[in-house]
Amino acid sequence: MSKLYPIIWKELRDMIRDVRTLILIASLPLIVMPLMSISSIYMQQLQVSRVLIIDEDCSHAYIPFLGNISTKDIAMNISYLLKINGFEPKIIEENIKAEYGEYDLLVKIPRGFMKNLTSFTLKAYVVIEKVVGSPRADIAETVINYVLSDLSRKISKAKVTYLATLAKIKVAPESILEPLSIITTIVKPTGTPASPEEEFRIRLARLMAFSLIFVTTPSIAYINDSIVGEKERKTIEALLATPVPRYSLIIGKVFTASIVGLIAGLSDALSLILFFVIPSIFYGFNILSYLTPSLIAIHVVAVYLSIFTSLAIITPIIIRSGSYRASHVASLTVVSLASIVFFMALYVDIDKLIHIARYALYVIPYTHAVLMIKNAVLGTITNVFIHALIITAISLALLLLAIKLFSDERIIYSKT
Amino acid sequence: MKYVVKLRNVRKSFGKTQALRSVSFDVYEGEIFGLIGPNGAGKTTTLRIISTLVRHDEGYVNVLGYELPKYKDYVRGKIAYLPEDARLYGRLTGWENLLYFAMIYSKDKEEAIRMAKLGAEISGLSPTDLHRKTSEYSKGMARRVAVARALMTKAPLVILDEPTTGLDVFSSYNIRKIIKKYAKELKVTIILSSHNILEIQYLCDRIALIDKGKILAVGTPEEILEQAKASNLEEAFIKLVGDSYE
Repeated sequence: MSKLYPIIWKELRDMIRDVRTLILIASLPLIVMPLMSISSIYMQQLQVSRVLIIDEDCSHAYIPFLGNISTKDIAMNISYLLKINGFEPKIIEENIKAEYGEYDLLVKIPRGFMKNLTSFTLKAYVVIEKVVGSPRADIAETVINYVLSDLSRKISKAKVTYLATLAKIKVAPESILEPLSIITTIVKPTGTPASPEEEFRIRLARLMAFSLIFVTTPSIAYINDSIVGEKERKTIEALLATPVPRYSLIIGKVFTASIVGLIAGLSDALSLILFFVIPSIFYGFNILSYLTPSLIAIHVVAVYLSIFTSLAIITPIIIRSGSYRASHVASLTVVSLASIVFFMALYVDIDKLIHIARYALYVIPYTHAVLMIKNAVLGTITNVFIHALIITAISLALLLLAIKLFSDERIIYSKT
Repeated sequence: MKYVVKLRNVRKSFGKTQALRSVSFDVYEGEIFGLIGPNGAGKTTTLRIISTLVRHDEGYVNVLGYELPKYKDYVRGKIAYLPEDARLYGRLTGWENLLYFAMIYSKDKEEAIRMAKLGAEISGLSPTDLHRKTSEYSKGMARRVAVARALMTKAPLVILDEPTTGLDVFSSYNIRKIIKKYAKELKVTIILSSHNILEIQYLCDRIALIDKGKILAVGTPEEILEQAKASNLEEAFIKLVGDSYE
């Protein structure tokens, strides 16, 4: 019988019987991620967002090639769209503004608005007063800009058509109003066209890489307990005097800790699906179609390899330090390093960095987990395998180092 | 007589502290050998060196014909070691604790189960108790399983570091009975350390007195009494060791 088998047998039994910890590991992402998703949608809805609309002008006019238009209609349009977006708009008069207390945003149609709007020499304007630091005010401003931009385009078109008619020349209003337009096509790194779905999927990949931040901690805590904890519980010395080879001891403990990590990873993958499905149901589009089974599978593999590499980095340190305090500090350092790389994945194209920066990041195993996900989304499967192999190779090298550094005397005599 | 352990002029330091100054003794096949001395005398360090866990700085150590530390992997397959105050795995049952070590020492699962069954018999615990988690055990019960775990391997050399420390009278008595009975039955050589003179007297065929990292006397209890010119072992112990405390 291989000496590895009893180690794994005992570690798995130990792990399975720590039911509370396993439930916590499995359930935490499943609770936190959907809550994050729900809170970001519903909390915004529950937020009272008040917009005041003041029509000082109260006038109307006829615009050739457009028709009758009044400031009341403009205010009503703004109010309607704001209501659809969950705001509480109120059309009021200036002199009673103070009665309405706090507001997120105020829109004022000033006196002379309609006169300026219909003029060929003057410019009309609308005043927006926005409360500082209010995310809802930013959204309200976007909605109002949409309404007014649309109105502005229609009036410009009508004015140009009118002037062209007066001048008796043939004019296409768009060629005057927007003489220059930009055509953007999206392509993959290989040059082949990419669909809007693929572009969305690439943005999604960044978020998926970022979510790897949450999976490294449980397995690191487990391996800490498995080695240093055994010493504290006075069970390791008898084990070290048995015929178990040191590599079996380390591989057995790391393997079991990685199972813990895999549970966390699967839970993370599921919670990620929930994180995106909830808003997609709310906003009425099927986000699940972007999360293909192969992408999820590669994400789970990336999760497992991130966990495995975390264990590989931390194990030599735990073995040499021998104390809970030192190993906890080391664990924090590893988690921080991982967090930096995963956070960077949100904003940086690692492959596009200058050589020095890129190769420096390649040395960090977590970089390859991020690149696995990115390449999975781009469909460059060969690169997925290459990065998986690199992170595996680095991890195995670190485990070999741990085996080499293992010292019975140090484990037994180090202060806890 | 065939020796199982041979130590010659073994020295070991931990930083500035010299734990062993010059330790020399032999342990012969089939005997129960006692190592007795005050706290900090070097008993545990000596046993850890024999168990291959600690590397000596100078001197010669031979266990079962293998020189240490060179052949430590061979030695580990032929010894069983119970450290001082060793604990069991709390989430495993008594049976599983036995089976775990049995699997390590066995070639296959059948042999492991036979070994674990022998361990269960040696421990003397009921099947009900054996299938409870050891976190629920009393200290005495846990120690019985720990001693059984060492003896069940039938390793040619079993090393027990203070096997009865911290136990009440009845539990200590049970442990001593187990050691005495199964040492002969399983034909193993045992080295054990203790503070308890009566225990040493009851169990051991030969004894070594150690103090401040040096062996003061080695031999049968009768030889030591003659050497120290004492009427009992306690007096011999105090005479040989006690001068340094005056």
